Amino acid sequence: MNCKEVINLMDGYLDSELDPLTSQTIEQHLRDCPNCDRIYKAHGSLMRAIATASPYHKAPAGLRERIQSSLREEIAEQPIRDVSSEMPVRPLSKQSEPRTVFFGTQWNWLALAAAIILAALIALNLVPRLQRPGADQLLATQLIASHVRSLMANHLTDVASSDQHTVKPWLDTKLDFAPAVPDLSNKGFPLVGGRLDYLDNRPVAALIYQRRKHFINLFVWPIESNTAKTTKTMSRQGYQLLHWADSDFNYWAVSDVNADDLQTFKQGFEEQIHSQPR
Amino acid sequence: MVIALPFNAEHLSETEDFESRPKIVKFVALKKHQEQDAAQGQELASFEEAMLPHLDAAHNLARWLVRNEQDAQDVVQEAYLRAFRSFGGFRGSNGRPWLLTIVRNTSYTLLKKNRAADFTTFDEEIHASSDESAGPATILEHSEDAELIKEAINELPAEFREILVLRHQEGLSYKEIADIAQIPPGTVMSRLARARGKLKEYLAARIGKEK
Repeated sequence: MNCKEVINLMDGYLDSELDPLTSQTIEQHLRDCPNCDRIYKAHGSLMRAIATASPYHKAPAGLRERIQSSLREEIAEQPIRDVSSEMPVRPLSKQSEPRTVFFGTQWNWLALAAAIILAALIALNLVPRLQRPGADQLLATQLIASHVRSLMANHLTDVASSDQHTVKPWLDTKLDFAPAVPDLSNKGFPLVGGRLDYLDNRPVAALIYQRRKHFINLFVWPIESNTAKTTKTMSRQGYQLLHWADSDFNYWAVSDVNADDLQTFKQGFEEQIHSQPR
Repeated sequence: MVIALPFNAEHLSETEDFESRPKIVKFVALKKHQEQDAAQGQELASFEEAMLPHLDAAHNLARWLVRNEQDAQDVVQEAYLRAFRSFGGFRGSNGRPWLLTIVRNTSYTLLKKNRAADFTTFDEEIHASSDESAGPATILEHSEDAELIKEAINELPAEFREILVLRHQEGLSYKEIADIAQIPPGTVMSRLARARGKLKEYLAARIGKEK
């Protein structure tokens, strides 16, 4: 091994990270070569001095507590399914209760309790899975599929026009309802056109707006009397969904723009239809 | 033990029966909560037991990387949260390198966000070894000057600061350093050599200017 090779391996030798054979070779070389030995000693003592002198930043007081409390907050924020509130408790109907069963039979209370717990457990597992998210999730899937299809198959619009007075009459002739088609170009969402679509087991109107290079599909259909007029946001597969409702219609906006843009869109839409009566 | 009680309609009115159902449901729900709570509590306890002993190491690395106390504390807190979230995937016996990897990555995220000077090239004019540079013996004389060394290390790029801290202050093996810095094990020695060389150079330049 020559001096250059030894110098190259010196850091590994100093850190005792070389294989035994190489270490031995270097050791031998250092014994024979005063020049390399001097470099080795100077390098070694300097490194040790630096390691000793460089300040070690111990964690300050309070950091430990801060971390511990943030971990506890983290746990508290994790949604624990509140099953008791979701569990529908239907009162037993008095008429349908076969009273003879109650009066005539010996009742094994433990078995009854076990049956109720079993029923509750089944309900606990099924109710949140089937009912709660089911309808919205299914609809969201349909909405996204429809949005994607409209962009994919060159079938974004049935009637391509930035003129609301062209799009609206066209839709009115095809549907049994007449949605508002406001012009939102002054809010940064120019109208691209309209389309017929089929969602949630009914024909719906799809209004297409543009935001820079992105398209927003706004699906509109008449509200059902018992539908809650809530606003909902969802984000799935990178698409943003925003749902709201007014006194007449359900609105679902689907797009790949960010959630803030979609909120701005909703605000603009609502302001516009309130300022210009249909 | 099975207790079979005869049903007595006079003792148990139907209203009571209505109530007993939601009560049982609530009891089951409560029990589920308690079990979940207990499981989470247990996980937190074993996480803290495994990871809090390395708090100083975590803070030290973050402090050297982000070079600012407030940011270092934020980084360490964020790193512990991230570590807790992926604690299920930690199967090793040695928590320190695992935690330091997360601290390191969190620090780099912050450094990149702040577009810190670490990612720009260094001004070779300032750091060029000139005739004024001190020799090895003079450097050794000054090597106990903690402030001087700290300033010189802080001038190094992040990848050099990181490797010096991991080796000299944490005493980690090349293998562990390779895992944390996400470089091939064969690169550790050469990077350490370059880091030490640069540090020597900076020290020499600083001492030379002070003279």
